[in-house]
This record gives sequence, structure tokens and C-alpha cells, in this order.
Amino acid sequence: MSAATFERGYKAFKEQIDAPIAAYFSSCVSCGMCAEACLFFTETGDPKYTPIYKLEPLRKVWEQEYTLWGRLKALLGISKKLTDDELAEWQELIYGSCTMCGRCTMVCPVGNDLVYMIRKAREGMAAAGHAPPDIIVGTQRAITIGSATGVGLPTLQAQIRRIERETGMKIPMDVQGVEYMALLSSMEIMSFPEYLEALAKIMKYAGKTWTLSSEGFEATNAGVQIGVSEIAKELVMRIVKAAEKLQVKTVISPECGHAYGAIRWEGPNLIGRPFTFRVQHILEVLDEWREQGKLKTEGFEKARLTFHDPCQSVRRGGVIEQPRNLLKMVASHFVEMEDHGKMNWCCTGGGGVGAIEEAHELRTKAFNRKKTQLDALKVDKLVTSCANCRLVLEDGLEAYEMEMPVMGLTEMIAEHLKEEGEMEKDKGLYRFSEN
Amino acid sequence: MSKPQSIAERLSNQGFNRRDFLKFCGITATVMGLPPAVIPQIANALEKTPRQSVIWLSFQECTGCTASLTRAHAPTLERLIFDHISLDIHHTLQAASGEAAEQIRKQAMKDNQGNYLLIVEGSIPIGNPGYSTIAGMSNKDMLMEVAKDAKAIIAVGTCAAYGGIPHAYPNPTGAVSVEELITNKPIVNIPGCPPIPVAIAGVIAHTVTFGTLPELDSLKRPVTFFGQNIHDRCYRRPFYDKGLFAESFDDEGAKKGWCLYKLGCKGPVTSNTCATEKWNAGVSFPIESGHGCLGCSEPNFWDAGSFYKALSVPTGDFAQTAGYALAAGAAVGVATGLLNKKKKGDAAKNHETVTINDLDRKQQ
Repeated sequence: MSAATFERGYKAFKEQIDAPIAAYFSSCVSCGMCAEACLFFTETGDPKYTPIYKLEPLRKVWEQEYTLWGRLKALLGISKKLTDDELAEWQELIYGSCTMCGRCTMVCPVGNDLVYMIRKAREGMAAAGHAPPDIIVGTQRAITIGSATGVGLPTLQAQIRRIERETGMKIPMDVQGVEYMALLSSMEIMSFPEYLEALAKIMKYAGKTWTLSSEGFEATNAGVQIGVSEIAKELVMRIVKAAEKLQVKTVISPECGHAYGAIRWEGPNLIGRPFTFRVQHILEVLDEWREQGKLKTEGFEKARLTFHDPCQSVRRGGVIEQPRNLLKMVASHFVEMEDHGKMNWCCTGGGGVGAIEEAHELRTKAFNRKKTQLDALKVDKLVTSCANCRLVLEDGLEAYEMEMPVMGLTEMIAEHLKEEGEMEKDKGLYRFSEN
Repeated sequence: MSKPQSIAERLSNQGFNRRDFLKFCGITATVMGLPPAVIPQIANALEKTPRQSVIWLSFQECTGCTASLTRAHAPTLERLIFDHISLDIHHTLQAASGEAAEQIRKQAMKDNQGNYLLIVEGSIPIGNPGYSTIAGMSNKDMLMEVAKDAKAIIAVGTCAAYGGIPHAYPNPTGAVSVEELITNKPIVNIPGCPPIPVAIAGVIAHTVTFGTLPELDSLKRPVTFFGQNIHDRCYRRPFYDKGLFAESFDDEGAKKGWCLYKLGCKGPVTSNTCATEKWNAGVSFPIESGHGCLGCSEPNFWDAGSFYKALSVPTGDFAQTAGYALAAGAAVGVATGLLNKKKKGDAAKNHETVTINDLDRKQQ
């Protein structure tokens, strides 16, 4: 049809500037605290990685289009108009060195939501054709094949057949009227099928009815990542249609933090109406069942281990206590990193950064932050609850030659489920209070 | 000469018991803004210290400062202090005169060499020394002679501190302040025309207790008493904040006790403690009596223009001007807002859907 142009991008910037953006830019006091909160700055010391500076193109448009002084300055030639070259230069800053982890937002003294701003700036960048090639390809695949990584239904079906063969469990597909519909991240399908196996095991254990949908199983949303709301909406609609067709009560977001934010927080806004079903993160579901006594475990992980908080489900999603409650059920030597929970440090691969080839070197450098955190704890094992974090963590650990297994929390819980026969005779013992 | 008595001994001779004494120490600490923990320290110091020798010299002055300090309302802190320091010489108050008076001054200087406090009241004429002499000696010569062996100097009143009224234009006597002549001694200024008595008593109590001078500001005034301006502590301040002003001394506003700013009150630029300590045993202070502050404790207060000219008043009808400005501002704001809204609206209306074929620069 057409091609991306600078003009389209500029128009998109103008369209994206709303009251919060105007308020954020006018409240910024240039204190620079966001820099100290960003691992791309702390690990490189390069001031261009100061989060608010990454938003310079958007700020320019806001100032020159929507403020009196900015218009005067532009009129008198005191400030220069935004150029295409500038946008090309900022690609690295808006995509390659921002994982949208939101740590900067936490420290901003005037409460600017920098993730919201980056998300908006990406809309302009994508329309101008300045999204990184890897992200563009991923987005095209998501629409045409079904996921950014190129994993489609046939791959999923193959994995299901393998799990069913190996475990004897049945993985339900397209079953109508069940309680839960589970979503997956394509990374789980491809790299960590253990998750699907663990999910099936836990569902069976808890006695819950559930299903996958062949029409909406992919939870990650490339449209949110690249910053094109129409594409994001189309991807969300696939899930919404599937869930409504199967008439499920709850849709379970996989561990993947980005997927959780996309479906739970952006989802209803993208489609412009509330969902007819509930969305829960898998750890929210598991913790709910733990509280209800539907999840009983036995045995403890002996290794000294820590938990890496995925930014999108923990800091941006509010699923903070649940993973800790669950970990305490199965780990006897669980220790926290110095900055954990809502102030955790990102794995360096969120917000699409993990998929950008050109960002690999910088990302590896920034991983030093996680390495420092882990070195301080001297742990033997790392647990997390996000397939993307897990891939990036494994990659980083390898780059720094650190021997450390990384494991998903859902799988760990599934491994420790108490055999049903034993449940009866153990009644009355309060093992959950043990640590 | 009998052995010098300590303040505590003197008090007990006069029928004050220890409880009265400790109460006095407590009041001293409170007035000086010191924590309760130092009360025993004050008591201890006052109990042991022999009465501080004080020499009081009066130069070009009206005796208002002395009158302010000696006016009768008892018992007060300053009364206690002045009863119990050794005021060895005070030109106005002493009974002796002529040669005898000068002899007392010389004796006191000799007995307490390097240890007496010198209090100066009034400015010193250096243009023509003949304007003020004592026993044939110019004020300047006497000041220099007595200051030489003093522990510290307290310049009491605006004249001694800044030159005061004698110093005002055209200053026929060539009047100067103490600190303009003496640079090698610690000096405390307690300005005011007259100054608040408790400030003098407080500085003396502090000096006796701690052996040092209290904390001073850039004009050498004790911060405890001169740290805040009258305006900030004025009971009429709420009217100022609401914009309620008396326009003349007999209008409704004046009767209702509104702010006297427009009638020339200098409270906003005057650092003193009148609004809190008040005068005449706490009866009132000028503003409470319906007259603006003259700023008498500030340098050059007499030459700072009319007492009845407001510090600064907006020209024209302030409310009307402000109203127009507000309306104009609001109009610009609304117009800008509408323009911005239209701009964003147009951008949204002309929104071009971005599909996966539009992500590249290449023509698909």
C-alpha cells in the first residue's frame, strides 16, 4: 500500500501527545535521577542513556507544536525542527537501550511515567519507519504466522503431541465452557515446553477444567513492542475472540511479563471495551489456589537460590508477593537480591531489546548489573517467572561464564506437588509455615 | 571593699529563695531560645560567678534607652539582672558627679581590667567633638579609653548601633556608631529606639553563663531577638495575606484592625521581636496600638523616607488590573488549549492506519 515516511511519523508523534505526556514534559525538573535508575546508564556511564533524554524527539514535537514558547522559538529559528536523521539516531535509544522496565518511573520525583512516554514515542518511530529491522520482521511474523518468533499452530501441536506421549496427560484444545483458557508465549512453546507440561500437571492436580485455543494461544504482543496500536489491537482481538467463543471465565496469562501487561493492562484499552472474562497471571492463579489449600507441595529445593523479578509482571504488573509465597513453599534457602520486588533490576532483554541484534553488545555490557547482584548473593540457582527473562539471563550468564541453572517458578511448583495418595495422611500438619 | 557577692547570694539576701532563682534561670533559657538542659548550667554559672562589672557610657542620646530599661514593672527578668550585675558607673543614674564620678569610672576600670562589659548608649560625634563632652573629655576619647580594657561592648539602641537620629541627614555632629570606631573588640548591637529591654538582659545572662557572646547576625545583632521580622510574627498578618488593608487611620479597615501596610508599616523589613515580646510588660506594641512599625531598629531608619509611605504599592486599581490580567491569561490559555486540541484532533482524524506493510521505508 504505502511506505513509512518521516511525515507519517511526525504526524503520529503529534497524535500521541496527550494530557499526561504534556504534563510529564512540563513537570520534568531535569534532576537526572532517572539516569541512576537505568542499567544502560549505570553500566556504561554514557549520559545519552538517561531515560528522559531518550524521549527528546517526542519532547521536541510537544514543545514546538503545543507550547507557546516552543512555537515562538521555532518561529524565530532558535530551536531546530525535528529531522529524519535525528529519528534514525534515536532508534538506538528508544528501542535498543530501553527495556521499558519502568525502574526510572519509580524514582522520578515528579511521578513521570517514562514507560508510558516510551510506548508513545515508539508509535511515532514505527510510523516513521525507524523501528529496528528485527522488530519489524517480528511484528510482520506475528500477524502472518501467529507469533514474533515464527512459531505457529503446527509447532504447538507438535509439542502437545510430544507431551501427551511422554506424560500420558491430555492437553485440552478448543474445549468450550471450561473455567480457564491458558495462553502461552511462543518462547515457552519453543524453548521451554516444560511450562506447558507443568501447567497441565498443576491443572490436573487442582482439579480445574481448562483449555488452549487454536485461534488464540499466543500471548506476546509485537504491536505493543514496536508501538503500533492497530497491530496490537488485532493481536489482542485474537485472544478476546477465542476466549469469548469458548466462553471461559478466566484467561491465564503465561509467566511472560510482557504478555501479561499486554493482555491485562493494555488489552481493554486497545479494543476500547472491558473484557467479558477475567485475566490473571499464572502466579496469581497458583497463589490463589495455595491460599485455598488446593496446592500442596512436598520436599524442598536444597540449593541456595534467588528470584529474578520480571519487570512487567512485578513492578509494572503488581504480582509481587505471589512468587515469594510460592517460592517459600518449595525452597529452604531462598534469599533476596539487594534490589528486588518493585525495585528490581531488569534482565536487560525486555521491551523488545532481547530481539534486537544490534543491541546485543550493549545488553551484554548492561548485564553486569545482574552479575553484580548475583555475585553478592553467592547463589547456586536462579528462579524466575518469564520465558524472555530466562532466555536473556541464560545468555548473559553464559557471556560472563557463570555456571548457574535458571528455572521457571511454575515448573518448580509442579515438581514439588504432593502425591495425591499422601495428601490424606498428612492432613493437619502445618508445613506451609516452614521456611 | 567587701568580697564581691555572686548573683545567687545577692538574691538570697533580698529574700528570693532557690526556687525563685531556678525559675529565673528557666526564664532566661526560654527567652534566649536555649534548651531546658542548659538551665542547671545557667544556675551553676550564676551561682558561682561574681557579679559582672558593667560600665555604662552615655553619649549623644536622649536617655530613652535607659528609661526603657529602668521603667518600673516588677519583678522582671531585666530588673533581676540589673539588680544583680555590678553596674559600676552609669552617667545618668549615678548619684556621684564631677571629679568623684570620674574617679569611680577609673577605679572600676582598674579593678576589673579586661573583664568588664562596656555598654554604650548614644552615638559618637567625630565631626565636631565639642557637641558632646563629659568632664571635658570628648565622647570619642572616653570610648576609646574605656573600650581598651573591656571584655566586650554592647551597643544599646539605634544611635550606638548605627548612629541613629544624630546620624540622620544632614548629620551636623558627624555622628558615628560604636562599631565604626572600634574594630578590635567583640561588639553586640541591640538596636531599637528604644531597644527591647529583655534583649539586653538576655545578652548579659548569656555572657555570664557561657563566657561567650550569643550568636549574632551580619549586623551583629543577637539572632535570638532579631532573627525574624515583625511582619512574619504580626497578629495582623492574616489580613495582609487576605489583602485586607486599612487605607487611612480612621477608616473601617483601621477600626477592624486590618493590616497597616498601606499606611507605611515597615514591619516587613524590620527585624525585631516587638510582635512577640511586646512592650510595657507585654501590654502591646506599636502595631497593636494602631500605628505602623517605623522600623526604628534598622540602620538609617530616619532617612528611609516617610513613615507613612507604603513600602511598595501597585499602581492603579490592583484588583481591576489583576482581574484583567487574569481574564487575558485565561483567554490565552483557553485559546491555546482549543488550538492544541484541534491540532491533536486533526492529527487523529487524519490518522493513517499502520499495517505490517507500512513499517518499512521500502515501497511494499
